[in-house]
Amino acid sequence: MMNRRDVLGLAIAAGAASAVRPATARSEGNEAPRFRIVDSNVSLFRWPFHRLPLDDPDLLVKKLRSLGIAQAWAGSFEGLLHRDLAGVNRRLAEACRRHPELIPIGSINLELPGWEQDLTSCITEHSMPGVRLHPNYHGYTLDDPRFVSLLKSATKAGRFVQIASAMEDVRTQHNLVRVPDVDLAPLPEIVAGLSEARVQILNHRLRSPLLDQLAKTPGVYFDTARVDSTDGVPKLVDAVPPGRVLFGTHAPFLVPEAALIRVHESGVLDDSRLNAVLAGNADRFSGKLKA
Amino acid sequence: MNSPNVQLGLPTPERLKQFRIWDSYFTPSYSHPGPDGSSRLIADIERSLPAIRKGEFQKLCYFPHVGVGTTSDADFEKLARTNPDVTLKALKRWPDMLLGMIQLNGNDVRASLDALNRWLRDGPMLGVYFPGGGPAALPCSHRNFHKLVERIAELNGVIMQHTWFTTGGKLSPGASTPSELAELASQFPEQKFVCAHAGGEWERGIRAVQNSPNILVETSGFDSTAGFIEMAVRELGAGRIVFGSHLPSRSLGTELAKVLGAEISDDDKRLILGANYRKLLQPILSKGE
Repeated sequence: MMNRRDVLGLAIAAGAASAVRPATARSEGNEAPRFRIVDSNVSLFRWPFHRLPLDDPDLLVKKLRSLGIAQAWAGSFEGLLHRDLAGVNRRLAEACRRHPELIPIGSINLELPGWEQDLTSCITEHSMPGVRLHPNYHGYTLDDPRFVSLLKSATKAGRFVQIASAMEDVRTQHNLVRVPDVDLAPLPEIVAGLSEARVQILNHRLRSPLLDQLAKTPGVYFDTARVDSTDGVPKLVDAVPPGRVLFGTHAPFLVPEAALIRVHESGVLDDSRLNAVLAGNADRFSGKLKA
Repeated sequence: MNSPNVQLGLPTPERLKQFRIWDSYFTPSYSHPGPDGSSRLIADIERSLPAIRKGEFQKLCYFPHVGVGTTSDADFEKLARTNPDVTLKALKRWPDMLLGMIQLNGNDVRASLDALNRWLRDGPMLGVYFPGGGPAALPCSHRNFHKLVERIAELNGVIMQHTWFTTGGKLSPGASTPSELAELASQFPEQKFVCAHAGGEWERGIRAVQNSPNILVETSGFDSTAGFIEMAVRELGAGRIVFGSHLPSRSLGTELAKVLGAEISDDDKRLILGANYRKLLQPILSKGE
């Protein structure tokens, strides 16, 4: 067994050989030729509570490119607390037009008068393939009839709906803006009643039995952004039917490399299933968006 | 199984090796090693091995229970007290990879002092870990810590203190905050302390220990929230940050990406990923010479 002297000897010997080359992780993480990557969960602009290193869309896109991410579905942090959502979605659409990788996903707040017009604008004016909801920040629950109404309208228009079940760990939130995670329990029954509906749950940390119920519901999809533990993503992939886990980073709030490393670090997913999580499932879910 | 050369999001293996990564916070079967004293622990280490290899980690420090009341399992506690081989099993299996720091019980000073003699004075453990939950948790500003810290200092041991600033208040009465650690550290200016998880809510945690030069912050235990490392380097300096993986309950991705993805220099990354921790361990490692 190694004693303390052995440990120190190893440390000193290794120290003489250490000279870290100046290069960045992101420049070396690009395996785009082997893996197409679609990030189903990024957001643009300023997080309301502190600055983020990548809260400038130009910097975010530069980072995503360096990681080999070919397409990113972008919501807006402004959609959490702003009430002029028409303006929020217009700025989002404009920013995405400047970056071919970014696909705008508009925000809808069902508590606001005229949310139906925002949905129409997202679909017809901005040609968005889906919309993102923040029920916990906006103050309604998923058994609200307005949610069912929105889901019907979006589905009829061929759009998907993303539900951000959380944006931040409740333990670290601002003391005056404490927002519990979204209660997803009503979702299976609602989605089961709409055969063509496509709903993706973002930033979740789902466990049984709710995960099992959601997995049994066709039309419910999941992202990877906050699925933690060294083998958490493969366990999620195994727990739900094929095609239901889409890669997502929750960048720039989270460091995007985190989710990217997590999908492969355990070595459990073979290349076929990695490709499905990284892009194939997203392509099928969205109908293969053109970036 | 994916081929081992998948490196998405990571630097090349050669470059990772050059960072010489020493993990200060490895948590296999963290709350209980299994009724036989090792089976769950070893299973969790094996579960972590693919990530350890992919990250090119050189060493990892875990926190064994040694029978001082850090679990609620009376049978295991007795086993750990009476059969030290149980505690050594993982270290013997991975002698080149594992380092150990014993979990102490601030509520039982006498047993903890005995354990310090058994495991730090006589080796092979390098320090102690004060948990933030379970039967051994006690806020580190409690006077019980004084005798323990004095003895740990005599033995040149490293102190890892679990900390969290939880919005809305502590989740358990035994939890410690970075502010409480700063209070303790101010009374032992020659002793180094590690503020595990930087308080979780790191914007407050970094501020709480900023004026305590004998406190370093550890990086694991919360989402890979962007900006953490940049703020820590700016406010504390890269020399006061040590990397932790929290494997396997957290992940290589979540924890290593905090450092690798940060907008800081490679020299700073090298300090955080291993050099600072080796420096912290040097006094007790040198004692074995």
